[in-house]
Amino acid sequence: MSRHHASSPLKRHQDRWGMIFVLPAILFFSLFSFYPIINALFTSLFRKKVLSLKPPTFIGLENYHYLLTSADFWNSIRATIVFTLGTFIPLLVASLILAVLITQMRRGQKFLQMAYYSPAVLSSVVAAAIWLLIFDPRGLANQWVNFVMNTPGVDHKWFADATMVQMATMLVYFWKYVGYFVIIFISGIASIPPTLYEAARIDGSSSWQSFWRITLPLLRPTVVLVSIMSMLQCLKTFSTQYLFTQSGAPQGPINVITMNIYNTGIRDQRIGRASAMSIILFAIMLFFTWLQFSTSKSDEVSY
Amino acid sequence: MKRLLLPLLICTLVSVSLFANGGQEQAAEEGPIELVFWTHEDPNRTVIEERYIQEFEAANPGITIKRVTHSSTKIQELVLTAFAANQGPDIFNMSIEDEYAYIANGRLSPVDPKAVGYDNLTALKDAYIPKVLDPVTMDGKIYGLPLELTNWCIYINKNVFRDAGLDPETDYPKTWEEVADVSEKLIIRNGDIITRRGFDFRYPYYLVSMVPMVEQLGGKLISDDGKTAIVGEEAWIEFLNYMKAWGPNGRNLGAPTYKNARKLFNYDNNDIAMAMTGLYQQGRIKADDPEFYDSGNWMVVPYPQFANAKNEVAGCYYGHYYMVNGQTSSRRQEAAWNFIGYMLGHGEEYLTTVNIIQPTKKLMESETFKNMPYSSVFSNDMEKGHIVYYGENSAKMQELIKQAVESVMLSGVSSEKAYATLKAEAQELLDEE
Repeated sequence: MSRHHASSPLKRHQDRWGMIFVLPAILFFSLFSFYPIINALFTSLFRKKVLSLKPPTFIGLENYHYLLTSADFWNSIRATIVFTLGTFIPLLVASLILAVLITQMRRGQKFLQMAYYSPAVLSSVVAAAIWLLIFDPRGLANQWVNFVMNTPGVDHKWFADATMVQMATMLVYFWKYVGYFVIIFISGIASIPPTLYEAARIDGSSSWQSFWRITLPLLRPTVVLVSIMSMLQCLKTFSTQYLFTQSGAPQGPINVITMNIYNTGIRDQRIGRASAMSIILFAIMLFFTWLQFSTSKSDEVSY
Repeated sequence: MKRLLLPLLICTLVSVSLFANGGQEQAAEEGPIELVFWTHEDPNRTVIEERYIQEFEAANPGITIKRVTHSSTKIQELVLTAFAANQGPDIFNMSIEDEYAYIANGRLSPVDPKAVGYDNLTALKDAYIPKVLDPVTMDGKIYGLPLELTNWCIYINKNVFRDAGLDPETDYPKTWEEVADVSEKLIIRNGDIITRRGFDFRYPYYLVSMVPMVEQLGGKLISDDGKTAIVGEEAWIEFLNYMKAWGPNGRNLGAPTYKNARKLFNYDNNDIAMAMTGLYQQGRIKADDPEFYDSGNWMVVPYPQFANAKNEVAGCYYGHYYMVNGQTSSRRQEAAWNFIGYMLGHGEEYLTTVNIIQPTKKLMESETFKNMPYSSVFSNDMEKGHIVYYGENSAKMQELIKQAVESVMLSGVSSEKAYATLKAEAQELLDEE
């Protein structure tokens, strides 16, 4: 229908009420999301210190130039990419497998869903505090790994070793969010008509074949959704790394972009440079959001 | 309606931006005022300061004081964020290396000598020991008064020493080399995992506790002319080598990843023998484990020196200064200084109840101070030390030293490489100031 086709009075009435209902959300988004983004973009063009009462100095793209030639910033990019790839891929695979297993169980589905999901409702601070105790040299992590591997007294240096501290942060994030994505996959699986499985069984299909030929293809939109959501969340990670470094873990290996933004803005008081970093992170996340929209449209499925 | 959407969004953003930079609300010049007072947690100090608040409010009707405590590791961020939003508290205190930026950026109210009970600035300065007001003095004005001046010495648990077959009175370490050797005798491990440490450092306070180690070896954090950072390559590398040997990849005597030693020391649980901390720790031992405090099974010894030290330097001292927000009305500022003057008029009670030293001549020369257990150890070390490095970028400078130490202790980086990185980054930081 042409845009310029005259709307009926009823449609105009409905549109008006639709906008009225949507308006609070738009105002909220404008105030708490859109405005801070514009403000950060503006601030990133200035040399500005948090406590200074002097007007900030306009420096154009100098903050961006500094960051793109800074070893510290590229270390943050590395730490973020390593964390993101090391976390979202296991998250995606494990949550899919767990969702399939749970949906095939006859009993205990609700209990398992609750058990896997419960860490997601904990605050990041509480989760990090729990894992700080577990990863203490005398804590459960060393005791359990030494028991399983029969290596008594070995300190696996969960916080002291550069590789182990990165793995520790991935493990905490995985534990916290795997249940969240299991629930999403379960919802996706539940939307697949059971008649398809019945028909496949009649035709002699095994469980494995049903999974590969029916479940996985029809879950493709959910897989894309989960992969992009988990990737975006991993790019925004902060609390775990921050709390671990506050407790003595070395900063270098886990100095993700968000923590660098925080330290630059708050500890170093360089709010202009911190804003530039946040705009770069925003651009990275915008790219992946665009990727989601462009891939999800081509992945619509019908039964 | 859709055509109105974009103009509506723009109006929203413009109206928000007009009000976004709202300044601090100016209190009315008339009528009651409530002063907001932010400080760090200290249960012993809270008791007496709450009483001071009640007494001050009774004597000054129309003034109420709201005292809010924050974690000592979080208050820096909270005060900074509050001031950034022009909503800073009326009164606050932090360590000088965190407070200096507020002086440098003109955020504070200068001390009114009369409001704090002195005839003039000269009388105020004369009341304190030399140099202690230098960090808060700028262009002839004083911007803070010390709540405490603190240095760190070594607390020793005699029980743990005896358990290891050592005599605490004679076998306590006098040099950093002995600290490592004695720790080796005191330590208990389950394989690689330390279950009882001999000693561990005061991470992450590298400016206070570790820069003096470098200075003993002949190095400096900043050159005397203030232009060069990380002076004395040999000294810095020797220091980094010492820390590398201390860590889990060396002699495995401790690491920043273990729980802070001072938080374990009070409980006498046979998990730490020595901890680096201040005079205030005695009050905390008394509160946490009175039996341990009264047993006499603890003692305090001076900050160790390297055997080959070129200079005798004790641990740095740092000051917590009470400061007043300079962006409020003059009436609030005067009331705030009045209250600070009232609190700080109780120096002996702060010493006996909280074990913190207000560096006035009167207190340092008093029998009360001299009779505090091991006060002479702290005062002797204070004479051999100096104020901690303070500057606009002191937090970042500390972070750079932290990264250097961690890289050699935990990440296997060579001391030479860690030194080179530290020097380059610290110099860049200094050049930006």
